[in-house]
Amino acid sequence: MTVAGGQPARTRATAPVPHVEGLDELLRSMADDEFVIGFSDSEWTGIAPLLEEDIAMSSLAQDELGHAQALYGLLAEVTGAADADTLAYDREPADYRHARLLDHGRGDWAMTIARRYLYETSDAVRLAALAQASWRPLAELVGKLVREERYHLMHVGLWLERLATTGGEPRDRLLAALGMLGPDSGTVFTPLPGEAALLEAGILARPMVELERDWRVGVAARFEGLRLPGLPPTQDPARGRTDHGAAFVWLHGEFTMVRRSDPAATW
Amino acid sequence: MASKASPRASEGSPAAPSLEAWEVFRQEKDGDPMRHGGSVMAPDADLAMHYARELFGRRQESVRLWIVRRADIVDLHDPDLLQPPLDRSFKKPGGYVMRDKLAAARAAAGQAKPKARSR
Repeated sequence: MTVAGGQPARTRATAPVPHVEGLDELLRSMADDEFVIGFSDSEWTGIAPLLEEDIAMSSLAQDELGHAQALYGLLAEVTGAADADTLAYDREPADYRHARLLDHGRGDWAMTIARRYLYETSDAVRLAALAQASWRPLAELVGKLVREERYHLMHVGLWLERLATTGGEPRDRLLAALGMLGPDSGTVFTPLPGEAALLEAGILARPMVELERDWRVGVAARFEGLRLPGLPPTQDPARGRTDHGAAFVWLHGEFTMVRRSDPAATW
Repeated sequence: MASKASPRASEGSPAAPSLEAWEVFRQEKDGDPMRHGGSVMAPDADLAMHYARELFGRRQESVRLWIVRRADIVDLHDPDLLQPPLDRSFKKPGGYVMRDKLAAARAAAGQAKPKARSR
């Protein structure tokens, strides 16, 4: 059963992996994004502002790790890697391809909300451009991710509004966080190596630069409503997913610590 | 625990918004009654809904939630109305207790109690 033959493949196992340049880069960037933000936000477990929010943020973080696992699973099919864990834990920091937006460390609550808002809205635009992907396993996974991300967008949108409309410290901290993230905020849309092939093959519907433009229009409207300053253009856009700094090297040391303690163990 | 603050008390104010208690009712599957699941603390209805979802629905254990501000519940907790002191057993729907009379009649007639039908 083949996708090309017009017969819909019903299961992942029966859909052959298309040989498209850039497919591995696309999956790696998406999986690394979800993995890094999931891990960063899981650092709130036990210390969030109130118990209910602690559970909510931890649950969101777990969702992202689950999404990363599914995306690493597809990446393993494409690259022939052993499994999702190998991809998540057995690479050097320089081999991760998450957006620089996610390289700022956990920060305070306003930083966490600002980063998550910028990431979730970017991710929503990216997922929409993959919903009709010609590789059915990817399109099916994206359909599921979109349904879960809906709640993430609702939750972080609510918090953005609370911080922005509560004068004094909440709004001041939000403004400071947006100021720090601003130059990196568009890096989810860093053009991918092999992007032309992805467009050609009908996997990615539109180029990243167009997606970024749409995303900026949406965020600008929301920010205007909340009287928040506009976002600056991306700094050093060509290296938006490489050259991760010291904050990520530290985070990498944290999330690989247990794995490295006994690489041969069966967990 | 449940404060009576107006839900708008925190708007535009730097003061910390006050938390209120919200009672959460959940339905496990279509057609089931709504049963009380527990409560969450939240500053407004939107966050109460999110927190209820996290505490009572994130593992797909509910198909529907009702989230009710505890202060909006009409609370009746009055022993004069609910536990009147005189005997009210004649108002109970159980009617007359036949068990002992039946057992005596069976014993008199030498019959065993019929077994529960197996199918």
